[in-house]
Amino acid sequence: MNVTYNWLKEFVDFDETPDELAELLTMLGLEVEAMAKLGAGLDDVVVALVEEKRPHPNADKLSICRVNNGKDVLNVVCGAQNFKQGDTVALAQIGAVLPGDFKIKKSKIRGEDSCGMLCSEKELGLAEESAGIMVLPPSLAPIGTPVFSALGLKDTVFEIGLTPNRSDCLSVIGIARDIAAKLNLKLRYPQCTIVEGPEKVESIIGVTIEDPDLCPRYAARYISGCTIAPSPEWLVKRLNAIDMRSINNVVDITNLIMMESGQPLHAFDCLRLSGQRIVVRTAADGEQFTTLDNQQRVLTPADLVICDAERPVALAGVMGGLNSEIESTTTSILLESAFFKPAAVRKTSKRLGLHTESSHRFERGIDIEGVGRALDRAASLIVELAGGVLAEGCIDIYPGKSDRKAIIFRPEKANELIGIDLDRDVIIDILTRLECRVSPCADGSVAVIPPHYRIDLEREIDLIEEIARLNGYDKILATMPIARVISDRPTRHQETEKRVRDLLVNNGMTEIINFSFTAPDAAGKLLLNDDDPRRIAIKLANPLVDEQSVMRTTLLPGLLETTAKNMNFRSLDLKLFEMRRVYFPGDGEDMPREPLCIVGAITGSRDGDGWSRPNEPVDFFDAKGIVETVLDVLDIGGVSWVVENTDPYYHPGKSCRVFAGREQVGSVGELHPLVQKNFEIEKPVFCFELNFEKLVKLSRTKKTILAPSRFPDSARDIAMLIPEELAAVKILECIRAEKSKEIEHVQIFDVYRGKGVPDGYKSIAVRIRYRSFERTLAEEEIASLHKKIVTNLIDKLKVTVR
Amino acid sequence: MREQLEQLRNGALQAVATASSVEQLQDIRISMLGRKGELTALMKGLGSLSATERPIVGQLVNTVRDEIESALGAAIASAQEKVIAARLQSERIDTSLPGRRPQKGTKHPVSLVIEEICSIFSGLGFAVAEGPEIEHDWYNFEALNFPPEHPARDMQDTFFVENDMLLRTHTSPVQIRTMLKQKPPVRIIAPGTVYRCDSDATHSPMFHQIEGLMVDTKVTFGDLKGILTVFTNQLFGQKTGVRLRPSYFPFTEPSAEVDIACVICGGKGCRVCKNSGWLEILGAGMVDPEVYRHVQYDPENISGFAFGMGIERIAMLKYGISDMRLLFENDVRFLRQF
Repeated sequence: MNVTYNWLKEFVDFDETPDELAELLTMLGLEVEAMAKLGAGLDDVVVALVEEKRPHPNADKLSICRVNNGKDVLNVVCGAQNFKQGDTVALAQIGAVLPGDFKIKKSKIRGEDSCGMLCSEKELGLAEESAGIMVLPPSLAPIGTPVFSALGLKDTVFEIGLTPNRSDCLSVIGIARDIAAKLNLKLRYPQCTIVEGPEKVESIIGVTIEDPDLCPRYAARYISGCTIAPSPEWLVKRLNAIDMRSINNVVDITNLIMMESGQPLHAFDCLRLSGQRIVVRTAADGEQFTTLDNQQRVLTPADLVICDAERPVALAGVMGGLNSEIESTTTSILLESAFFKPAAVRKTSKRLGLHTESSHRFERGIDIEGVGRALDRAASLIVELAGGVLAEGCIDIYPGKSDRKAIIFRPEKANELIGIDLDRDVIIDILTRLECRVSPCADGSVAVIPPHYRIDLEREIDLIEEIARLNGYDKILATMPIARVISDRPTRHQETEKRVRDLLVNNGMTEIINFSFTAPDAAGKLLLNDDDPRRIAIKLANPLVDEQSVMRTTLLPGLLETTAKNMNFRSLDLKLFEMRRVYFPGDGEDMPREPLCIVGAITGSRDGDGWSRPNEPVDFFDAKGIVETVLDVLDIGGVSWVVENTDPYYHPGKSCRVFAGREQVGSVGELHPLVQKNFEIEKPVFCFELNFEKLVKLSRTKKTILAPSRFPDSARDIAMLIPEELAAVKILECIRAEKSKEIEHVQIFDVYRGKGVPDGYKSIAVRIRYRSFERTLAEEEIASLHKKIVTNLIDKLKVTVR
Repeated sequence: MREQLEQLRNGALQAVATASSVEQLQDIRISMLGRKGELTALMKGLGSLSATERPIVGQLVNTVRDEIESALGAAIASAQEKVIAARLQSERIDTSLPGRRPQKGTKHPVSLVIEEICSIFSGLGFAVAEGPEIEHDWYNFEALNFPPEHPARDMQDTFFVENDMLLRTHTSPVQIRTMLKQKPPVRIIAPGTVYRCDSDATHSPMFHQIEGLMVDTKVTFGDLKGILTVFTNQLFGQKTGVRLRPSYFPFTEPSAEVDIACVICGGKGCRVCKNSGWLEILGAGMVDPEVYRHVQYDPENISGFAFGMGIERIAMLKYGISDMRLLFENDVRFLRQF
């Protein structure tokens, strides 16, 4: 809502400067989002009299003027020719700053002093182009007066961001009313005098409301014999100041009064209405109608239309029709002022994508009691500016008129909730200033009837807010609540989430956050099978773009896109993870499922480009190691790795699934080359996925801690040849199967292929550390245990000990 | 025997003085003082001396032995020192080379800010609550006093999914879910992801909010101001000015926009605060009785406040980020700075 300082002043006499007023409005909840000062910085451009004008001695096209600014007579050199001695002009004095940051300084022009500049309209930002300087009317204002004030252009435009509850402030009067209430000043409502002709309005036009639920009030007046013409300058300026375009006198008046009162008005060319009738009804399904903006609209029975005897002539509360628009030849006018049901206007406006100043106001709810007053005000102004005769009487169909109910309000409740201590009288005074009617009740409460234009005041709490607002939020002291103690330990889910995030970050990984919605083909890019549940995503009904149209069922596509994007910026050594929700449709009536997932991707060199270690690329085992660390820290028991049936986006020979007992809790692997290509990634990427929800459930919270053994250890190594297809883990399992308490640790410390190892085999070296908790192990004991293990390996796994 | 001792002493001291390594000095010790050493042999000969001579010569032997011992000790110590000095000299490294660091990862700034805010409120006794992102209209709007077809719904452009469900437009439905689950006192903070169908330089279709809710007996609007003042002071530094001004949210009344003194210019006015000296960082208010009605709380017996803020906005202010889109581009050159 745009409003100007001068316009507000017409209704209320405040002393505040524009800056002070902006602050006051903001603190009233009418937030001033922007402020434009017309003529700002131009106070030094004043009305001045050219007392003498003579040619410049050293320049043909220049003249030297003696200019009187009310205090001094100054020497000014000027290049314009369109003025003469005795003219009143606009003088920019030394120190003035013209639009475009043009500073006026004392200068010498071809040897003659020049103490200022005579300005053109263009130089003052008043016109796009101008020929010569601005010559002012002789009696405009006393010389020395700032030109902008003299022209009545000095004003400030406030752009107010209104909250949807304050429909009463969608008008200049509404805002002035709040200022008056805050400052305890009197509001001057505009006066209008109605002079009516002999012709009776009922004899000219009849109005029928077929749907009084959607149109509870419809009022109209008729004016004949008027002349459509351009609006007078004051009206044009006023509308321009708030960014409205001037159309013609009649249309401009309807807009002016709408801005002034908040009541949208519409003027029909009465001669173009058929059958001397107005019918307010809902549209027929598929009924067509061309609105003022020359757009053909197809209507539905949910749309309310204003019709003449034959056809729609306006879309109620939204926009008029081309078929009855005011034209330069129009002479008779039907002026409409009505109340349409907010929800209905909103529906139509939304469906058609047609948001107008009028629909904006009707949607939020206008003052049903103000319908007649705005109509009279506009009608009298039309007669004043466009001539013509106003028919006698006013059509006003308002069947459901009812009085507002009183709200029971307890002043002490207001104090208690806000945390202030205002006297009852002060509270009642605030309500009275808001034009509420207040009457005391026997129990100490008061009955409050809010003014009809404040449709937002319905409950006690609404009045309590008004007390806080008018008294000032700044007057409320900041206090600390007195509260009861509540146990607020984070849930296990929350604690684990933080723990895993910390862990990944402390292991060199960078957290990313991608949008929760993705492209529908994301699953396809991962080569997921047709029956993969991750192919069934929740779709958005109204996505912004196709790439963000389904809720993601896997975090991988986002991770891989991020990987590719970073690689394009030459960030080649990446360790990324994302820990966010994925979304699956619920079964039937169930809520969708939103499990938290973790994915990670690593690529590039292991240590970055360092000087101290060989620059090796990361591989599968770096990714697996991260997964192992997470499982270890969360103390997940019964971990096993399965190489079969890994997801299709992994390299089948370099991936595995990880289980805790029988539950799959994640997977790790090198990205399949085709998937790598689908995501336009140039280098191998190793990924892992973890099902966070399962991890939380399986994470053991109790740990048994053993005191370390005090006895010496003894280590034995075994080097063996095993076929390539035998998994190394089988060797570890075979050794552990011995279940000896004396085996403290088993570690694979070398894997070798090459010289001395036949094709199809690998050499594996294992170190077993023996130690007892009870005694120092004898050499023979260890030898016998170790021999048993070696025999087992040879017998069960057919290894060849080297 | 005296001359013999004298000779031995001189010879030993001479040898110690000319020895050049710890090993040579050890050899001297053995050849003199060892089990088969010269001095030891001499001492064995003491028995053949007369009872009067024995103590005198014995003492002399001891003196000579002490002398040799101490010379050897000093020489060995000095030889060892030289060895160490030589080793230290030879082992010098270029310490200006960069250290071998464990790799450092970083949390996303959104996570960092959420953690920080939760930690501040946890210190004030607020528990962390969560809720679904795909919500029913009832929790996201109706129970929060946004009736259907109400213009207030325009304040939040909504993404819809099937079955009358939507992507929550704010974290406020967590208020409803929490109050339906428990009776007062309630003190929660609810961080989460929210969605609005709006995308430009200052709006992202997905962003994050933190919701706060406190309901107890006799909680006042002044208390809201107090809690938010403490919070902003902790988040942005002591004595950050806080300003509440009237606003409107369907689920709170009275409602307020909360501004803090601009953290960039300190309130003098700059580009970031559009010369107002204030930055809008959160919305707040006293919980509307209509909301209590939906969760079966009795507004005559309890009162409370709620507030909500945008995480991205706070992250941008805290880290001086000018474009919100940077937060979701996931460029590691950006993320690794946190």
